[in-house]
Amino acid sequence: MWTYISRRLLQALVILVIITGVCFLLTHFSADPMSQYANKQGMTAADRAIIAHSLGLDQPLPVQYVKWLWLALHGNLGNSFFSRQPVLTMIAQRLPLTLELMVTAEVFIIIISLILGTVSAVKQYSAIDNIITSFSFIGYSMPIFFIAFGLMQIFAVQFKAWGLPYLPTGADIWNPKDLGALIRHMVLPVTCLVIIQVAGYSRFLRSSILEVLGLDYVRTARAKGLSERTMLFKHALRNALLPFITIIGLDIPFLLGGALVTESIFAWPGMGRLFWEYAQRGDFPVVNGVLLLTGTAVVFFTIVVDVLYTFVDPRIRLS
Amino acid sequence: MKRSLFLVLTILAVASMLLASCGTAAKTGKGPGGSIPFPTGGKTVTVGFSQEPDLVDALFSSMSYAAWVDQSIQVGLGTWDANNNLVPELATEIPSIANGGVSADGLTITWHLRKGLLWSDGQPLTSADVKFTWQLLTDPGNAVYTRAGYDQITSIDTPDTTTAVLHFKALYPGWQTLFDSGPNNQGNIQPMHILQGKTGLEKDPFIHWPTISSGPWVIADWVAGDHMTLWPNPNYWRGKPKLDQIQIKFVPDPETAKAALKTGDVDFVPDFAESDLADLPALEPAIHTRVDAGPEFEHYLFNLGVKGTGVGQSDYDGFCPFKDVKVRKAIILGIDRQTIVNTLLFGKTTVPASLWPNSFWYNTNLTPYPYDPTQAASLLDSAGYALGTDGIRHGMCNGVDTKLSFNFETTNKQLREDMAAAVQAQLKQIGIEFKPIFTPSGTFFGNYASGANMATGNFDMAGYTTGFYPDPYTDGFLCSTVISAQNQGGDNNYHLCDPALDAIMQASNASADPAVRKTAIDQAQQYMYDNALVVPMYARANVMSYVDRFVLPPTSVIGGMMGDTFDWDVK
Repeated sequence: MWTYISRRLLQALVILVIITGVCFLLTHFSADPMSQYANKQGMTAADRAIIAHSLGLDQPLPVQYVKWLWLALHGNLGNSFFSRQPVLTMIAQRLPLTLELMVTAEVFIIIISLILGTVSAVKQYSAIDNIITSFSFIGYSMPIFFIAFGLMQIFAVQFKAWGLPYLPTGADIWNPKDLGALIRHMVLPVTCLVIIQVAGYSRFLRSSILEVLGLDYVRTARAKGLSERTMLFKHALRNALLPFITIIGLDIPFLLGGALVTESIFAWPGMGRLFWEYAQRGDFPVVNGVLLLTGTAVVFFTIVVDVLYTFVDPRIRLS
Repeated sequence: MKRSLFLVLTILAVASMLLASCGTAAKTGKGPGGSIPFPTGGKTVTVGFSQEPDLVDALFSSMSYAAWVDQSIQVGLGTWDANNNLVPELATEIPSIANGGVSADGLTITWHLRKGLLWSDGQPLTSADVKFTWQLLTDPGNAVYTRAGYDQITSIDTPDTTTAVLHFKALYPGWQTLFDSGPNNQGNIQPMHILQGKTGLEKDPFIHWPTISSGPWVIADWVAGDHMTLWPNPNYWRGKPKLDQIQIKFVPDPETAKAALKTGDVDFVPDFAESDLADLPALEPAIHTRVDAGPEFEHYLFNLGVKGTGVGQSDYDGFCPFKDVKVRKAIILGIDRQTIVNTLLFGKTTVPASLWPNSFWYNTNLTPYPYDPTQAASLLDSAGYALGTDGIRHGMCNGVDTKLSFNFETTNKQLREDMAAAVQAQLKQIGIEFKPIFTPSGTFFGNYASGANMATGNFDMAGYTTGFYPDPYTDGFLCSTVISAQNQGGDNNYHLCDPALDAIMQASNASADPAVRKTAIDQAQQYMYDNALVVPMYARANVMSYVDRFVLPPTSVIGGMMGDTFDWDVK
């Protein structure tokens, strides 16, 4: 197993280098960081040259990339072209807030998907199944910004207009020790993320449970006289959850990347916004820093999931 | 399985809460007040910015949002009042020839600072800080935004703590932009006692977040991506501002900003786009909208480049028909700019005749060309461009049969796209094919080395906003600044080298007296107008919305969005 893990880690290193290299090229060709200084009257060519030199942009592309990579291998992701702050500091400022939002949403997504998926499968073709199915399709087909603005208009703007207690429109980390305020500000963005994700996950779980319920061993369990409840929770659900857990496991690294649209609409200061705001301006160190983090997480958790399979399913052997 | 799942979920929930409190608590309290609860009572206003400043010290940033925050905390010797006049700030008076502050040859400028000025940390603010600011700006080790003008100073004498005598090596007509607050706040004074002895200051934490100030406010708190808190500077020379606190909230989406105004989460949004005027007036009477037309203006420019390697020549030839003034004038006459302003901008701004509208420098004798497709067609006929069977005019240009069909490049901003669509339809009526190309601003404004079309001159026509900062910038029209392989750092995007215009522009910089310069600047505008060198589309407008309780005083369009926070108030 250790040989397998070592080999995978080495492969991961190569993959990460390729990812950052591709990202470097894409960022370079999509936006010129010096364009921020174009058409700025009063700024001279000499001013621009000094700034370009201070950012290392006056060096050939391969040199820029290799320098960044060398620093990254030593744990230094460089400084942002614009804020001039260390990228690690910028990520450290945003990551906890993204995790707060995304992990909370993920917890609700898992719980609600489990409930809806199970009920929908057990009560297949019933009225409740049809209702859940309908709402799932509605949730799945609506763009997230539509849900976000809809929730904001109702629970913030209209509730205020009606004189009811209303929710805030955006993130406010005015006082981090005020847990009540924090939760109030999380309600709308978390709800938004939950609606979108639950729609798909509950359908996936429903199919998985229905597939298991049709297998021979479930029929045998029923023939043994087990109650539906015991059969469902002790036998069927346990197996049906395996692929669901795999999906959740693969979701974890993406929690680090944040949710761009939700964070932008609800002014949540997370990783998604950090990535997007700096990517648009060609800030390669920030873009690659964020990508390296999420890329590393994806690679790491993929290996973790592979290894966990051997514990969950003894038939699987790593070689 | 169920127990394990429950355990995992519980751990995730607890971890998220813990991470939340770790992440935010660590980022408060660098300012004088330490960790700051919100709100603390008193008179507070919350402002919504669509972008967060990269860093605050505007000497090192090209970002408007940085300049706006900086205007509230770091001030210069002079500033701009609501009537766009330069007035004293840290100085006692604006130097002039009459008061002896400007020498007869214009090479020596003397500033007198107020007595007893203090930084917010209690240290004295003196003429030594003025001299240090100049040294900081001209140190090649510091990647400042611009040293233009400061690099013309040979020395600064400080005979006493309140006098700074600036000696210039050559006449610098825009001396009023130096050491003064303004739209980019490029003249704020830096604290010598904090920054002395350092270089590479662009990476210094103080530049990112100046923790002391000379202006009415101090940044007391800054949570990255979320908000900033400004508190009154206890040592500001004018005393305490009318408000007790300003919160700046970063709200990237304009629809969220509108919702936040409705709920009262924010009181003032200073940076709505002109396209938001479609629905902002409907928010009255609870939310007011004010539109201030400024000196910046959207313009369409012809590529007038001539291919060659000499001074004033480009890598590419511009579109041949543009060399004919009749064609250029026909294009201006063929665009119904007033209707575009009335429809796309809801009539809230104006069509200028020339450069630098809404400023002292604007030539008020000029009248914008009208929309006159008949005259436009007649001009094109007389220029030799006849209608073809496909509805597009063509004619001989430099011996080649050329269609009046050309590309127009601009950024992919919605208003620009809408405007280009309107222009396309209008020019089609006079037999001109106008083909818009929209690219992200990072690509459009790329420099020569990046291969951007406008910089390299590989384009026909382009459109963007230019303006006035806060002195008329004439270098962009000189032969010596035409961008080419030999002159990659130039900034003449028009790729125009016209010796007559060059001479007028040079003449406008031959005096330190604004009244004398105005004559030449007027002449330059007249020349550009007569020769139809650019198409001024509309004066850019600052669109601001605010709740009824907020008292927004008149704002200087030159002074910048937050140049007057001292007078902000609530009912």
